[in-house]
Amino acid sequence: MSNKQDQDAPTTSKPAEKLETLAEKLKAGKLDLKVEEVEERISPSETNVFDK
Amino acid sequence: MIQKSAAFPISLIFPPQGHFTQPYLALPCLKAWLEQHGFGDVALVDASIEAYDHFLSPDELSWAAERVAEKLPLDKFGESGELRFDELEGYRAAAESAVSASALIAGIDEAKRIVRGEDFYEPDAYLPAMRSIYHGLRLFSAAHFPSQLTPHNFTMRLANDRSEEVLAATLNEDENPFIRFFRERVLPGLIERKPRLVGLSVIYGSQLIPALTLGRMIKAALPDCHITAGGGFLAYIGKKLLAAPGVDACLDSLIFHEGEAPMLALANALQAGESLSTIGSLDWYDRSSGSAVRVENPQGHPIRLEDAPTPSFDGLPFEKYFSPEVVIPYDINRGCYYGECAFCTLPTVIGPGYRTRSAKKIVDHVMELSEKLGTRNVNFITDCMPPGMIADLPNELIERKANLRWWCDARVEPKAYTPEGARNLHAAGCRKLLFGFETATPRLLKLMKKGQSARATLDVARNCTDAGISVTFYAMVGFPSETREEARATLDFIRSNSDVVREVSLQTFHIDEVAQTYKDAEAFGIEILDDEHADLQLYHDYVSESGMTQTEAAEMFEEMMAAFREQLPLFSGDNIYYFMNKSHYFLHLARDVSPDEFVELCRRRTERRSTEQAVERGLAPATDLGLTTLPFRYTDVVRALAHPLARAVRPDFLTGRYVEDLIPRAGAEIGSIRPAESALAYSANGAEYTELSIDGKQVLDALSEVGSLDLLLDSLAGADERGRADLNRFAARLERAGVLSRTH
Repeated sequence: MSNKQDQDAPTTSKPAEKLETLAEKLKAGKLDLKVEEVEERISPSETNVFDK
Repeated sequence: MIQKSAAFPISLIFPPQGHFTQPYLALPCLKAWLEQHGFGDVALVDASIEAYDHFLSPDELSWAAERVAEKLPLDKFGESGELRFDELEGYRAAAESAVSASALIAGIDEAKRIVRGEDFYEPDAYLPAMRSIYHGLRLFSAAHFPSQLTPHNFTMRLANDRSEEVLAATLNEDENPFIRFFRERVLPGLIERKPRLVGLSVIYGSQLIPALTLGRMIKAALPDCHITAGGGFLAYIGKKLLAAPGVDACLDSLIFHEGEAPMLALANALQAGESLSTIGSLDWYDRSSGSAVRVENPQGHPIRLEDAPTPSFDGLPFEKYFSPEVVIPYDINRGCYYGECAFCTLPTVIGPGYRTRSAKKIVDHVMELSEKLGTRNVNFITDCMPPGMIADLPNELIERKANLRWWCDARVEPKAYTPEGARNLHAAGCRKLLFGFETATPRLLKLMKKGQSARATLDVARNCTDAGISVTFYAMVGFPSETREEARATLDFIRSNSDVVREVSLQTFHIDEVAQTYKDAEAFGIEILDDEHADLQLYHDYVSESGMTQTEAAEMFEEMMAAFREQLPLFSGDNIYYFMNKSHYFLHLARDVSPDEFVELCRRRTERRSTEQAVERGLAPATDLGLTTLPFRYTDVVRALAHPLARAVRPDFLTGRYVEDLIPRAGAEIGSIRPAESALAYSANGAEYTELSIDGKQVLDALSEVGSLDLLLDSLAGADERGRADLNRFAARLERAGVLSRTH
């Protein structure tokens, strides 16, 4: 996984601590797991099959 | 054939940007005509497909990614604490490049391979590949920010209805990607070939800046070469263009309307060293006095279409078009036999008169081309097929066992498209017809002078559908005086007949100078707004006495498209790429997949992507995953940029919606984006921009650390069933988006 920006970020907690925090949030139903995919809106310039 | 001196090489060039799925027809017609009349050395160059193919290569995308990182550093946005409207496009480009450049560079060759090969016919391969191609163009465009090259358009920040700005664009290498492309990829071949005459085909507004850019560069490199241009778009604005100061540095002459006769006369005159003053339909610069003096010749006569030879596609790079099979364009007639529609501008583009070829000649030509090019797919180019031909052409195709598959535009002719007539068309290989429906409102149809009713259109469409022919409707929103309610009635009409109408080509109405709506504006209850600074103006803003404003029509366009995406399977989710890419849907029909079967294919894909899948427990982050934290939410930015006002700030010859100095107004109405941290993910396999919360990113990080989903679930001691279910759902969605993939 490439993550250039985050590679430069200081490490704030160890993996075990991170997992513990995640587990706690998951248990409390407070883990925000929303996923958004972007549906591209179609511009009028793309709907003219006559021209393009 | 009379063989003239071989020492008169001619190059016919199709400048960027045209669609990348199939070749265009005009230049092959001209090549064949010139060859028939003795010019044996005529080369075709499709600089548009060459540019797309070159730009969408690993080397060019790597170059673009480096340039974007320098030009649009992500951390420079939002320094005021909020992301201003005028920063949105740059921020979006920077965010996308940061997260997707690596995957796009690695995956672009595979995406092109898929759309050019047998995998094209597999939706789960084709659709991500098409998304990669679109995203690759966004990355390449970002390197020339704010210019945008898409599969459908090319726009720059410079207004393309002002000659001063158009000419400035031809010299702006920072933002005009074609300067470097022409210098490195087109000019060397021309310098070696030394053509005496170059013809540039400018069909679309999106080609204007690239064509003038190329013309300028050829003139500088080959001062003795005559450079002419012609094509549909120049038929609109050509006179204005030649009158603009500075254009003589890019062109020597301009051909209006049909090119065969003027081009041949021009070649003959140049070869003989004669004056150009007798060539019909040619405007040119007389440089004999030392300066360029514009001369307008009288209009010439069009050719007898029946005399035109089979178009010659020799020399075009068929392997480079983004389609698995060639679709041959072929014109069965020129002009429109009806010619009354109030919004139509085609008579101006095509020139006077209506001419057709005989069915026998058409079939002679397309059978010859089919054999030569190794394809049975044909796109008949016609503004509307005349009623007689609707019977003659299929009969000839059937009688001669042509075994072709074809599609074309058509006018509603109830007496021709009877159930029997439609069955005959299908038997002759017709697989898709596109009808000008426009609106369901009788009052507007009358005002448009369409000469048809919505009911008759539907009857014709039903006959074609029943015969197995796919039907597309052209529809229009925002015709002068149309109300929101009337637009919604059109929407309801189409929605309630979605078993008959497979696709809708919806356009916002715009006024250009050659239509009746412009010439007789009062009759349509509108006041035309002129822009005195726009010396190349074609489209005009207007104020309507009643009905929707232009902005309201643009909003209604969004509402209608959203409804079509809900209702029409071909428009749902990413299936819409089939519609947007010219012959791509047709190519399935050409393999005798029925429209119903294709609709089912689209439905199944939409369902697969919207229902919860069983989670593969060995899931882990995709090996090529790009993941970047963002200070402003990507989806907020994309939604803001989809606002009609945000679209109108960009000069766009295709839609006519460009409002100068709109940025402050759009900024005030759309507002700024507040900071909210998120993470953006992208992988080559999914080819989707997927936004997660910071929590979601931490889960992804944890998944990377422990190795797979089942190991993560094991590690999350104490997670109850609900928590596990939440995590499974999250993983399923990410798998669908390609963010997670199976580890074995």
